[in-house]
Amino acid sequence: MRSQTLESPEPAVGQLAAIPGQTRKRRQLRLRRLLPIYLFILPATAIFLTWTIYPLADALVMSFYHWNLLTPSVFVGLNNYQRALSDPIFWQALRNGVMYTVISVPGQMVLGLAAALLLDQQIRFRAFFRTLYYLPVITSWVVVSLTFLYLYNGQVGPINYLLHDVLHIIPSYIFFLGDPNTALPSIATVNIWKGIGWTAVIYLAGLQSIPQEVYEAAMVDGAGRWQRFMKITIPLLRPTVLFLVVMLVIGSFNTFIQVYIMTNGGPLHSTETVLTYMYRNAFSSLDLGYGAAISYLFTLMLFVITMTEIRLLRRRYEY
Amino acid sequence: MRRLLIIGLSLTCAIVFPASRAGASNSAASSLHGTVTFWNAYSPDEQKVIETQVIPAFEKKYPGVSVKNLTIPYNGMFDKLITAAAGGTGPDVVRSDIIWVPQLANINALQPLDKYSWFPSVQKQVFKGNLFTNYFKGHYYGLPLDTNTRVLFYSKPMFKAAGISGAPATTQQFAADCAKIKAALGSGKYCYAEGGFGGWNLLPWIWTYGGSLTNKSYTKASGYMNSKATLAAVNFLLSLYKKGELSPNILGGGIGTWDGFGKEYAMILDGPWTVAGLLNNQYPSSTYGAALVPKGPGGSHSVVGGEDIVMMRQSRNKAADAAFVQFMLSKQAQTMMGKIGQMPVLASLVRSSAFPGYYSVFQKQLKTAEPRTPSPAWARIDDVFSTTLENVFRGNAPTSTALNSAAHTIDGLLK
Repeated sequence: MRSQTLESPEPAVGQLAAIPGQTRKRRQLRLRRLLPIYLFILPATAIFLTWTIYPLADALVMSFYHWNLLTPSVFVGLNNYQRALSDPIFWQALRNGVMYTVISVPGQMVLGLAAALLLDQQIRFRAFFRTLYYLPVITSWVVVSLTFLYLYNGQVGPINYLLHDVLHIIPSYIFFLGDPNTALPSIATVNIWKGIGWTAVIYLAGLQSIPQEVYEAAMVDGAGRWQRFMKITIPLLRPTVLFLVVMLVIGSFNTFIQVYIMTNGGPLHSTETVLTYMYRNAFSSLDLGYGAAISYLFTLMLFVITMTEIRLLRRRYEY
Repeated sequence: MRRLLIIGLSLTCAIVFPASRAGASNSAASSLHGTVTFWNAYSPDEQKVIETQVIPAFEKKYPGVSVKNLTIPYNGMFDKLITAAAGGTGPDVVRSDIIWVPQLANINALQPLDKYSWFPSVQKQVFKGNLFTNYFKGHYYGLPLDTNTRVLFYSKPMFKAAGISGAPATTQQFAADCAKIKAALGSGKYCYAEGGFGGWNLLPWIWTYGGSLTNKSYTKASGYMNSKATLAAVNFLLSLYKKGELSPNILGGGIGTWDGFGKEYAMILDGPWTVAGLLNNQYPSSTYGAALVPKGPGGSHSVVGGEDIVMMRQSRNKAADAAFVQFMLSKQAQTMMGKIGQMPVLASLVRSSAFPGYYSVFQKQLKTAEPRTPSPAWARIDDVFSTTLENVFRGNAPTSTALNSAAHTIDGLLK
């Protein structure tokens, strides 16, 4: 009769630790468990390091050099940074970014919330309306910019026709994109139109996470519609609002395509953004070091703004 | 007998030697192999000719070489060219705007062509003025491929409605015609339109008034950009704008010059592509005339435009590239492209009957046309120039103050 040998199960890591001289075995066991995990994340990590981290690091190094892509680079130290900080167009671009944010972010937040509240109702064809509101979001910025270039035309544009010839609101046609006073607000308005759908979707998710019982309890206590909105909906949407503010502010400061196509930073740099200015310096003037310095200065500033937003808006609500 | 022998020998030599030379050149042509990548910004009509006529003719002559043509919209071409060259994936041969050549040569992107043995023979055949656009720090980095300039296009129906019989010959007559057009055609219609404030747009008027951007050696702007003649030219255009005779589209956001010509705009300055591309294709029923830029105190001047053909330094098949460059400057290729609006640069083709009749006004204008400043810093100089004039038109600065400041800034860029 053969004796049956039962293989004892692998000891737990904790048990091995109690056994003297088993450190190496413990390490091997840990590695055996972790190895498949590392192998799974290795490809994505490699791609991230190669296509995100390496270019970021290279750009940082580039910002300390004068380089025009094809000739050897020349080390200039902090010269590019000093140049940017004393460049009036850089500061103009930053101011434009702030102005653009002040117009487009509140616009998207308010109108997006209004759209979300409407789309949260039990109405017929709700899915159709939700799709309709989201269509501008998924439309290419290039297509939208070219379309609004025509709509805003100061001589034959439909917007001027509507406001002047049909509604008689304005005394004469406006060169929306040719006037330094109206160019930036005009582009920011396009951003609002295009972003409402996205903010509405995020708000919808936030609205649906608020428990109905809270509203029911408030109704029992006699709270009206407006009171429920101000005392329940708004406070409990705070995390959603924080997320939207952070994302929208970053997005609006990173405006590029619509400005590049519609005005290319003009007239007279009134729509210049940091990204369009950086792009022009890097690729039109072939001053890549300066472009890289602008991008890093801008990143630093945006980081400070974002952290400030998070500190100011973050507060926990319990219900 | 002896005479017959001599005649027979002579005939044999006459047949064998040319054949052997042709054979030698045929064998040189057939010995070339590889691919030539050619980038350009041709219009759709021009692209059709290059791909269906010019390249097949070249490939027939050089059966071992194939040409890969890539036509890119002009607006993005320079950026794409530079980034591709930096990444080592750039083309071999480029039809480059003449204003890009100094900048490309300055960053070592181009192969100097004057070191090739075939260069002197081709150099002799092209217009000297156009050849100069390829000169940078002692070498020629390309050859002219096509030339153009801007002339005055005018709408005959709009002129007729205003009671004007023909194109204005002088700037004074131009101003008088503008007043007539405004009075006759009313609001929404303009005598003249320009697409912007760049050197390409407004330098013809500055030169016509006797002004200039820099001195002849392109080393100094003070005394030229802010001269009395330049000031007079800018004030002339400003007065047209203030009277509502120059379209506000110059400030941006309005109807383009092509879109409005013959409808909102009675006159524009533009190049030979306007005839082929706009007037024959899009609005064939338009009736228009073309004339020289109205003569001012400095004469009638326009701006030299055109493209040069250059070889990229990083190309790996320079022999094939050189063959393609020479072919593009042959009578055959120049004639093919010439018929579609690409004015030839070969002096021998000036009076060719193969080309459209409207070439004559452009060729006449080219005699007094001036080049823009051939400097690697041209993009920045042009930016200063256009920003300055835009500020003047918007009333942000008096003309003389603005021009003085611009001259000082451009002096720095020319160093």
